[in-house]
Amino acid sequence: MHIMEGYLPGQWCLIWIVISLIIVAYGIYQIKKIVDETPESKALLAVSGAFMFILSSLKLPSVTGSCSHPCGNGLGAALFGPAVTAVLATIVLLFQAILLAHGGLTTLGANIFSMGIVGPFIAWIVYKGLTKANVSSTIAIFFAAFLGDLLTYVATSFQLAIAFPTPSFGTALVNFLTIFAITQVPLAIGEGILTVIIWDRLKEYKPKLLDKLGALAPNEA
Amino acid sequence: MKFDMDYIAHNNNLTEANPYYKLFITIILLVVTLVLDNLYFDVFIFLVMSILILAVAKINYKSYLKFLSIPMAFLIITCLFLMFFFGKGEVIYETGIFGIVVRADSFHYAVYTFMRVLGCFPCLGFLALTTPIAKILHCLDTLKVPKILIEIALLMYNTIFIFLNEIDTMKKAQETRLGYHSYISSFKSLGALASTIFLRSLDKSETLQHSLDSRGYTGELPVYVPRKEK
Repeated sequence: MHIMEGYLPGQWCLIWIVISLIIVAYGIYQIKKIVDETPESKALLAVSGAFMFILSSLKLPSVTGSCSHPCGNGLGAALFGPAVTAVLATIVLLFQAILLAHGGLTTLGANIFSMGIVGPFIAWIVYKGLTKANVSSTIAIFFAAFLGDLLTYVATSFQLAIAFPTPSFGTALVNFLTIFAITQVPLAIGEGILTVIIWDRLKEYKPKLLDKLGALAPNEA
Repeated sequence: MKFDMDYIAHNNNLTEANPYYKLFITIILLVVTLVLDNLYFDVFIFLVMSILILAVAKINYKSYLKFLSIPMAFLIITCLFLMFFFGKGEVIYETGIFGIVVRADSFHYAVYTFMRVLGCFPCLGFLALTTPIAKILHCLDTLKVPKILIEIALLMYNTIFIFLNEIDTMKKAQETRLGYHSYISSFKSLGALASTIFLRSLDKSETLQHSLDSRGYTGELPVYVPRKEK
């Protein structure tokens, strides 16, 4: 879920926008460096961004009967690293606000922070950590996608709880977390399984590309 | 279906209006609404923007209602949730079910949040429904947003629509073969769909790069801006 337009009070919009801007600026700097080294990667970045957007418009079948969508940020982070994913997520969120009325302009900062920064960063750490520990990349990608999705929602609950600290920050956080936990844990598992299926096919058809991106586990490369 | 908004943005009375004005009106009104946080002002903005969208831009009221309906349904649910499960002030209403009560401060929060979203949402709608994305990106470009970001966004915007067509075809093919018949098979089909799209997207990116290179692409996509008539 993206926080919708106008849901957050003004000062929190500003704070999250400032925090996200700093990190996205660093991401843009990284992308500039990548593009200067290999100019042909610009198209790849654009197309992967489009893929992230499309992925979030695919409906994931969920146990509770309701439908939700994968965030795709775990896969992006494992392939390109968290800084680049943050920039791509920024564009994706802007498009979602303008094309689908999903999320909003004033809450863009908060949404970038949860979906584009916290989620991918955790996913990337988990993925790199597990592959370093000689776990096969298929299992690593499952946990990366699962935790990336879950942590996105933890970050969202955190943001909502600071904005609405009634009766206290702690209780509000627990309240938001319980609501999200009921709906999100099955979805996060679903996203994990889906990412594993995608990952398996990628490994089967494009092993060289994954190797070039440095995304495979050391023992599989 | 999903991209009705893009079609509307290209076909309304304000499509050709100056995108800078539209962008600034939206941003200034959003900021003012958030800063004032006043219930009457929220309603006022809601009415003004709705009139702008319906009467000036001449957007079909059905499309506008559709645009509002999903976020509004969601908003009502979250505000009810805020109202019943938060707060510690004095109890102003008892529902009598599981001891759930409405408290003064949670009521205050819920009402203010509801009205704030009600005020802000049509502002976003005004920009989203009247301005095509390419024009917004061009505005951002002249406002010194990093070029590389704009370019990736423009290329992405093109690619999204190509993918949508492909997904449509593939999904229909899967559905006719009972790909979404059971829970497990729908997972398999969805995984196959997503990974195929990714593989396709890699090929596409290569083709796109070649076609751009062969037309002398040096890292800049020029956009045609018609000269102002005097």
